[in-house]
This record gives sequence, C-alpha cells and structure tokens, in this order.
Amino acid sequence: MTRPEEHIHASGMRAWLQTTGGIVGILLLTQFLTGVLLAFYYVPSVDHAYNTVSYIEKVVSSGSWIRSVHHYGSQWLAVFIFLHVVQLFVTRGYLTRRVQWIASILLLALIMAAGGTGYSLPWDARAFFSTRVAEGLMGGLPLAGGMARLWLLAGSEISTLTLSRFFALHVLVVPSLIVAVVVWRMFKARVFGYRHAIAAGLVFVALAVWCFKHDAPLGPSVAMANEKYLPRPGAQFLWLYESLKYLPGGLGSIAGVVVPGIVLLVLIFLPWLKNQRVIGAAILSVGAALILVMTTVSYVKDRRDPQTAKQLSLQAAQEGTARREPFKPATLGVMPVSQSQSSGAPVLYIKFCVNCHGPNGEGGRQGRLNFPPLQGVAAKPRRTVDDIVGLLKDPTAYDLQPPMRSFSDKLTEPQMREIAEWIVKLKK
Amino acid sequence: MNEARSRRSFLTLLPLGILAGVFASIGGAAFRFLRPRIGAVSDAWLDVATVSELHGPQPLPRKITAENIAGWAITTEEHNVFVLPAKNNQVLSAICPHEGCEVSWDQGANRFSCPCHESYFAADGARISGPARRGLDPLPMRVQDGKLQVQYIPKAQA
Repeated sequence: MTRPEEHIHASGMRAWLQTTGGIVGILLLTQFLTGVLLAFYYVPSVDHAYNTVSYIEKVVSSGSWIRSVHHYGSQWLAVFIFLHVVQLFVTRGYLTRRVQWIASILLLALIMAAGGTGYSLPWDARAFFSTRVAEGLMGGLPLAGGMARLWLLAGSEISTLTLSRFFALHVLVVPSLIVAVVVWRMFKARVFGYRHAIAAGLVFVALAVWCFKHDAPLGPSVAMANEKYLPRPGAQFLWLYESLKYLPGGLGSIAGVVVPGIVLLVLIFLPWLKNQRVIGAAILSVGAALILVMTTVSYVKDRRDPQTAKQLSLQAAQEGTARREPFKPATLGVMPVSQSQSSGAPVLYIKFCVNCHGPNGEGGRQGRLNFPPLQGVAAKPRRTVDDIVGLLKDPTAYDLQPPMRSFSDKLTEPQMREIAEWIVKLKK
Repeated sequence: MNEARSRRSFLTLLPLGILAGVFASIGGAAFRFLRPRIGAVSDAWLDVATVSELHGPQPLPRKITAENIAGWAITTEEHNVFVLPAKNNQVLSAICPHEGCEVSWDQGANRFSCPCHESYFAADGARISGPARRGLDPLPMRVQDGKLQVQYIPKAQA
C-alpha cells in the first residue's frame, strides 16, 4: 500500500529538484532582455559610463529595477548554472545527454565571463578595481601573460579603450556565444516540462521582488574614490577574491584562470574519462566546498573586523547619499580653443575644479546648480590665498553649500596652495 | 479520460503562460524605461546682436547659442537666424518650414532659398514659391539693455 505512494512522492520531489535547466533558461532570457534595455542609455566611454548609469538609476522610470534585475540576475544565474552542472552529474545525465552536459559546462564558463566583464561597465570605483584585478590575473599568466594583459587592456594602461573592449565582450561576444550554445543544446534536448516552467517562474518572481527591495550597487565615481575605499567583487566572485588573499602573488593567475580553465576542460571530457564518477565527484564537491567556505569567510571577515565593517558601512551610507542626490547632467561640447589652451591652470585644478568652475574659473551652470565664478574672487572678503586653502579644507567654515566639498582627502596643503595662488590671479 | 486530456493541455499551456508572464513584467518595465522624456520648452532669452549695429535693407545672418538638456547631457547648440532691420528688427528662424533644412540668403536674387527642395522666400520672409506652405517663422523677440534677444522655440514643439 505505501510503496507506490512513496515512489510517486520521491519521483515527484526528485523531478522538482531537476528543474535547474528551466531556471537557467529563464534567467538567461531575463539577462538578455534587461541587458538590451540598459544598452538604450549606457555609453561605454570613461567620461560618460558612470554618468549614464547614474541617469538610469536616478532618472529613467523603472531604471533602478531593470539594472538591479540585471545585476542580481547575473549572480543568481551563476548559482543555478552550477547547480545545473551538479544535477547533471548526480543524475548521470552527463552520460545519457552529453550535448546537454558539454553545453552546461560551456555556459558556466560564459556566464562567469559575462559577470566578470559586466562588472567593469558602470566605471564606478568598484568597477575600476575589478578591471585592475582582471588586468593582474591576465598579466600573471605564465608565458603569454604580458601579451594577454596588453590585449585585454587594448594598450599598456587601463583607458577608455579598455572599457570599450569590456563592453564589446560583454554585450556582443559573450552573448553571441551563449546564444550559440543554447541553440545547439535546444536542438539536441527535449522540451522543458511544466515543472521547469513553474520552478523558473517562481525564481523569476523571487528575483523581481528582491530587486524591488534591493538596488544594484553603484559606488563613487573613480575620480571621487579615496584611498580608503574598499572594493568588493560581485557575489559570484567572492570565493576567488577571498582565495587570492591566501595565495602567494605569483600563483594568483594560476588559481584564478589556469586551474578553472583546466577544471572546465576536464569536466567537458568527463563522459570519456576513466574513473569519471570519482573525478567528477571530486571536482564538484571540492569546488562547491571551496566556493561555500571562501564566500562565507569573506562575508564573516567583513563583519568581524571592526575597521573594515566601519569603512564598509560608511561606504554604504555614502552610496545611499549619492543615490538621493539629484542627477547632474554632463556638459558636452568642445571648448573654444583659445579658452582651453591659454588657461595655464594647475593640473590639479583641471582634475578637481574644472568640471564645475570652468577652465578659466569663469563659473558655470549645470541644470539648476550654479557654480560661482572664481575670476576676481580675490577682491571679495575672506578670499586670500590662506583663506582659499582653508576653504578647500572646510568649505562649511566659509559658509559654502554643497556641492562644494572638502578636498582634505584629495589634496595636500602645498597642492591647495598652488591652486589658490593661481585662483587669486584670475581677473574678471 | 476527458479530465486527463484537459490536465495535459493545461500542463502544456502552463509553460507558455509563465513565459508570457515573464515577458509581460519585463515588457511593462521596458515601456516605462524607454518612454521618451519631453522636456519643457526653454524660454531663455538669447542674445542675437547689439541693436545699434543692425541697419540696412538686407536680412543679416546671425548665430545664437542655446543650451539643450537631453537626458544625461547638456549640449550647446548653434542656430542660424536672420535679423530684418527693414522690418523693425524682426528675427526669422533659418529653419525652412517645409522639411527643416536651413535656408540661406541669396544676395543676387534678393531672396532666401532652401537647398533641399527649392522653396523660396522674400526678403521679409514671406513665401514666394516651392513646397513650403508658409513663410519663414519669426521668433519671439525683445530688446534688453540695447541687445536684441530672442526665445528659440523649435518648430516641432511650438
């Protein structure tokens, strides 16, 4: 009496656990749709990337939700494609459905590549550091390291060409490969059943609701980040980030690129290997254990260490403040040649002040914000060189309102003095 | 039997329904996301010229620069206008009212001509011939501190 019922129940449960394929499918579809939408506003250039992402977050309707779905969807996708590989291994699907198995391993690699390249695109502080790490991992490769680094960066340094390269990889190359793999797999595999659809639908609803509550992170722009800034990678890379701390420098590229590459190759050829059950079980269980332990260690350490926890919560608060500030459009257009060449402004003035106060200190207007001209400012009370240095340290002491900020964390006193001495000479 | 069949057709329709649900929710967000933003027409008064320098029977070409906020960027745009000293310094937009090309002043023929579809306008902006259905558009103008100023309102929004 009980046996058939038990059997039905077990197979039902097991069938529900084997719906990761459908979930991966829906999440891939979601990434494609939201990615296409983001491309309608995003500009892959170092002087506009951050601005256009802020615009999506702050101004465009549904923009923060769409970006959040794209951001967290990529992390959920990494989890479910891994579970899908584990499922195919445990159920011996890798033997009976080899195309599906190889496609899944390729998708795992491509999804991680998409996550890695996508993280650079907002060009905020964390994107900048993630690009740096990608640069380091490539540069450390044995034999071809130097060459791989140059090709990834499109030059000897990270530049706007690097960002274009990551953009092309993220939106054209990797998605085309993913489509190719998915189409190949679809021709060879049966159509998904209703259980897949229900599981996938539930995961999509969960992701959609999660993203109403959680905004995708957007750090400070690269120019605004100070040396105390603590970057953290996306959740799907935390295990790698944490592992790199325990490896001697030279081994980082081996652990981060070479070993994963070999592991993926071994998994692809698993159906043809001797001792495949042992090898597969070893790789997948060690991999899962490494990912779980290192991700947990990373989370716990960030909370335990008081200094780190303090800085991270400070950064979270700053991100929150930046998110609530009204959007500031960028001013486009070429400066007349006479203006940009004759100014002779100090380099640091051009770096920190010129965006608001203009190349000749003529002031400016951005949307509703008015930036006062600095020309002839020395004639005003409390604007000697010493006063301007003091003002750069603490603008509130001189009754100045935001967006004027303190530059104590950016400029040394002699640098402030150099800027101040140039400003007081500006004539109307 | 019948019940089993309807259960089966329900189960084949379900995945399609769920897929439709995913498309609908992202599609709804996409509609809001892609909806064009129609900004307020800028009513700023832009300098055209000093009044004292404007005289003679000919239309005088001038350039005005207007700031345009388009989404995440502020761009500075230059527009061509013509001042008519003979007509109490009226300012005409150089945009042809036909398809939006820029007309130029033809000194010899004493008329404006449009390079695109051969519309012609008299020295006072009135339509002479061609596919344009009205004369050149005058811009709202005023004189402030000896300066002639206009509001530049693009035709499409006016």
